[in-house]
Amino acid sequence: MATITVVKARQIFDSRGNPTVEVDIHTSNGIKVTAAVPSGASTGIYEALELRDGGSDYLGKGVSKAVGNVNNIIGPALIGKDPTQQTAIDNFMVHELDGTQNEWGWCKQKLGANAILAVSLAVCKAGAVVSGIPLYKHIANLAGNPKIVLPVPAFNVINGGSHAGNKLAMQEFMILPVGAASFKEAMKMGVEVYHHLKSVIKKKYGQDATNVGDEGGFAPNIQENKEGLELLKTAIEKAGYTGKVVIGMDVAASEFYSEDKTYDLNFKEENNNGSQKISGDALKDLYKSFVAEYPIVSIEDPFDQDDWEHYAKMTTECGTEVQIVGDDLLVTNPKRVAKAIAEKSCNALLLKVNQIGSVTESIEAVKMSKKAGWGVMTSHRSGETEDTFIADLAVGLSTGQIKTGAPCRSERLAKYNQLLRIEEELGSEAIYAGVNFRKPVEPY
Amino acid sequence: MSVQEYLDKHMLSRKIEDAVNAAVRAKTSDPVLFIANHLKKAVSSVITKVKARQILDSRGIPTVEVDLHTNKGVFRASVPSGDSSGTYEAIELRDGDKGMYLGNSVAKAVKNINEKISEALIGMDPKLQGQIDQAMIDLDKTEKKSELGANAILAVSIAACKAGAAEKEVPLCKHLSDLSGRANMVLPVPAFTVLSGGKHASNTFAIQEIMILPIGASRFEEALQWGSETYHHLKAVISEKNGGLGCNVGEDGGLAPDISSLKEGLELVKEAINRTGYNDKIKIAIDIAATNFCLGTKYDLDIKSPNKSGQNFKSAEDMIDMYKEICNDYPIVSIEDPFDKEDWEHTKYFSSLGICQVVGDDLLMSNSKRVERAIQESSCNALLLKVNQIGTVTEAIEVVKMARDAQWGVVTSHRCGETEDSFISDLSVGLATGVIKAGAPCRGERTMKYNQLLRIEEELGDQAVYAGEDWKLSL
Repeated sequence: MATITVVKARQIFDSRGNPTVEVDIHTSNGIKVTAAVPSGASTGIYEALELRDGGSDYLGKGVSKAVGNVNNIIGPALIGKDPTQQTAIDNFMVHELDGTQNEWGWCKQKLGANAILAVSLAVCKAGAVVSGIPLYKHIANLAGNPKIVLPVPAFNVINGGSHAGNKLAMQEFMILPVGAASFKEAMKMGVEVYHHLKSVIKKKYGQDATNVGDEGGFAPNIQENKEGLELLKTAIEKAGYTGKVVIGMDVAASEFYSEDKTYDLNFKEENNNGSQKISGDALKDLYKSFVAEYPIVSIEDPFDQDDWEHYAKMTTECGTEVQIVGDDLLVTNPKRVAKAIAEKSCNALLLKVNQIGSVTESIEAVKMSKKAGWGVMTSHRSGETEDTFIADLAVGLSTGQIKTGAPCRSERLAKYNQLLRIEEELGSEAIYAGVNFRKPVEPY
Repeated sequence: MSVQEYLDKHMLSRKIEDAVNAAVRAKTSDPVLFIANHLKKAVSSVITKVKARQILDSRGIPTVEVDLHTNKGVFRASVPSGDSSGTYEAIELRDGDKGMYLGNSVAKAVKNINEKISEALIGMDPKLQGQIDQAMIDLDKTEKKSELGANAILAVSIAACKAGAAEKEVPLCKHLSDLSGRANMVLPVPAFTVLSGGKHASNTFAIQEIMILPIGASRFEEALQWGSETYHHLKAVISEKNGGLGCNVGEDGGLAPDISSLKEGLELVKEAINRTGYNDKIKIAIDIAATNFCLGTKYDLDIKSPNKSGQNFKSAEDMIDMYKEICNDYPIVSIEDPFDKEDWEHTKYFSSLGICQVVGDDLLMSNSKRVERAIQESSCNALLLKVNQIGTVTEAIEVVKMARDAQWGVVTSHRCGETEDSFISDLSVGLATGVIKAGAPCRGERTMKYNQLLRIEEELGDQAVYAGEDWKLSL
């Protein structure tokens, strides 16, 4: 069996022009694989810690320390190991080489989650090549998943929150082509709705509004959240996909939660008088009114990451018809997932590999979620690279859904293009999650 | 054929013995694996399969991707696409069926690769780029590659080039250097798009791009650092003035606030550079793309503005005066497409003033006949190289040679619709063009090109040479 012979890291740039870590792993049978890690803009306080240099170079965002940790500590320690032993290698890096913990688990503070994850992803890719199987198949094997499924894409097409300069409080509005017959058709539907949306926005808000944000979405100067939903409804109609393309939201409510336990829908206004502050219950009722009027199937982060109470209420009242996704609430952390399962706080996990920091822990969080009957949405970050790992991850784990931006900007399209290739490769065995996106397979 | 005849015919015993001896000499820990790899390397590769598919470019518009298989592996390429497609460039084949991706699908081009091109190329040696490209040109038979589609031909040409590099076991940039017949490779000065307008952004700014060139950096890595820092400072400058609404980006990642004049844009950029502290080490370049706002013989700088004042129509002479003024007031080293693509006269006059590099994009469209004419008439002094305007790697190399022989500068360029393919990075190094224009340090399809240049510089080690101050004369 081939072993790891070289582990080499470097600093490269993500899609926002910020430094990130890239790792090459070479094996004894002549294989070389590369992985690069994503980075978020709205990072939750419970995420694994990303190590940045500080100082003035790259406005403090350099990652030379993390790169050094890979080249000087992690790399030498992995030489000679078998890359198919993902769990052993991840545990070795997380528990022994780093070893730092907080109340929620392994925080990766010493070496940096960006350093550890880059190596973990590269090991996973090397393991697949060494095994002579596609990456998604290797991931399925690691997880014990017998049936792989192509995910429904959740295209982020309208931006607000911390991802845009408009007044929109809610961070993302997404379209999900659940009515497509294949992933290829889902791409066609998504692209066409996106281009129609561009025309609708241009007509209504002027051409300034069709430049794009970090994830390829538009950021029209919308005054009210409901306006975003109206735009989507119109674009879907114009594309001819009413009933086949539905809507998802990522509110990222932690961004506008105040110490007084209210939610300020006007938080982006400069001279904000707090007149639009509402309670958790009022916010819940606002969501319910949206769900009643629009084909919304998913709401992510409807409340603050520590507002477990209102999460549970929302899930109890709407959880059957609407998926309630925990991103900041869970940060892909198994302990927080376990708590949310026990308290019925939400019913879907947003899977972000860099929030937890290793492939093994990501798989664990997904398995826990699926055993609890939850949905799982594999997700990108706002700072991405050409690495397409999460596309294979979504297929291998049959998460049923993937959120990786608009059909715009190639760090987003690289993932969607990879899913097109996977579907082509699978041929007649390809299964698209479609309307079963919340539960595409039995727990494994 | 007897066993002995078979063994003798293929020299099997000898070859296997050589491989075993090599494994023994290397004292490798896995001799069987070593022997397998050794034997594999001894086989000269041929193209065994060419398989295309439709994927999406950075604007969510279909484009062609090819996997080209040889005995040594699978090599993938995908092609860029522009929206200012000129009348003299190679033609990309699109289906035109409005019900499929609003008419932009490329199923026919994909089919042409999977059937005609594949059949023609199977069995060929991937190292012989010229022959492969010529075979496709012969198969197409049209001057602008309209039969098979330039998007079909180029995708295969690039994939074959990657396969050829792997066959020779050299980096792609080295293979390109060899194909061009020049000895040295140079890491290019990046011309980072920082402000977008024209057709590439949704704002009222008529001019297409303002770029910064970190000429004073000591290596590419440092240049990229400066570019990234300046870009982020510019975003902050715009945010302070516009309150966040100007910080979304255009198709090539440039920031796209509403700007009332070129001078206002230059002031923003100047302020951003000042904040980095790199002042004199970063220069400015502008892509005017004047064809897009030329009406007859006049230039309408308000062409994108909904509230037209009618006061901003300029004659070509007015434009020259404007260029002189901004080149005097700002550290501008290069202006691209200062006039309409058919206004050879004024372009020539402006070039003769010698106040900055004058780059022909729409004027030339990487078309060898137009380049030849421009050289003869001294119409400009730099070529903007866009590989999809020509259609094959071989022809791209030829047009660069023409420009070089005339002592011109060459800027390797992206298109506004790009993919994760970073071929142009290796191309700019291998052909030592001295400058690469691949957009902002933003949007993954742009940062991928710059990231690839980081890897190339790392790989070259102490042999890496950054164009820097010599960006115009990488000879």
